[in-house]
Amino acid sequence: MNLDNTKAQMKKGVLEYCIFAILSKDSRYTSDIIQELKEAKVIVVEGTLYPLLTRQKNAGLLSYRWEESTQGPPRKYYELTDKGKSFLKELDNSWNDLVKAVSLIRNKKQTPEKQK
Amino acid sequence: MKRAISINLGGIVFNIDDDAYRELQAYLTQIESCFSDREESKEIMNDIEVRIAELFNERITDYKKVITSKDVNDIIDVMGGPEQFGETEKESTYKQRERFGPSGYRRMYRDPDSRILGGVCSGMSAYWRIDPIILRILFVIAFLGFGTGLIIYIILWIVLPEAKTKAQKLEMMGEKVNVSNIGKAFKEEFNNVKKNMNL
Repeated sequence: MNLDNTKAQMKKGVLEYCIFAILSKDSRYTSDIIQELKEAKVIVVEGTLYPLLTRQKNAGLLSYRWEESTQGPPRKYYELTDKGKSFLKELDNSWNDLVKAVSLIRNKKQTPEKQK
Repeated sequence: MKRAISINLGGIVFNIDDDAYRELQAYLTQIESCFSDREESKEIMNDIEVRIAELFNERITDYKKVITSKDVNDIIDVMGGPEQFGETEKESTYKQRERFGPSGYRRMYRDPDSRILGGVCSGMSAYWRIDPIILRILFVIAFLGFGTGLIIYIILWIVLPEAKTKAQKLEMMGEKVNVSNIGKAFKEEFNNVKKNMNL
């Protein structure tokens, strides 16, 4: 159980970053964002997304417009704001640093025992 | 035959079974309680309802025109339980509320799993959180004393619905209806069956 918890925490940590990364390439519908995150196995259930997207929007990192749909209710179409784009750049750097740090720790050679 | 009602979910009208409606309402209420900021919560709940409406729409066909309990349970699996919606900074306040208040939306059902006759006493005891033996003794006394106990029992047997689905059983116990609780309930049942069969 604890292992699942730790894994979930790791994924939760990168979730915001992944949302920005998805939107950096193209503006997307909410359901498309969810679909891509599911395919990449970053999320299993959709619930986490909704409060996250709304908070990012309220923080000025994302914006959306409504698009009418013939198949159902109107849908939100999200895109990154300028503030969101610079946020993403910061997270890119942060991610690279993190990857470097973990690599360093994993690959560090053991210091040989001193011969008496 | 069941009663069905019409609901407006995210701007779309659906026909939904009465019991499915109650489960959906319990779920949405629990999700809503995860968010403390009123303004934000309205927007988030609207998004969620629209999404659930989308998912329901996919299940309605020419041959199946009503949303059932199974549909609602499937949707809960897809969306996730309240702990998935948990807020980051505000997660601690939610956990505090859990400690002080009853954890879930509580309904009175008949309990088919721990019944002697119809599960009337078990179900009612679960609602009031008392030991079923108390109600059973009262009913026996009322039956022996005046015979009215039997009539009351039969009326309750007819009127109280049986808790069939996992979500209903959780409602009966006042437990949160979410994915992990439903999973726990299945596991407990599986272990009970194993025990009874001495596997």
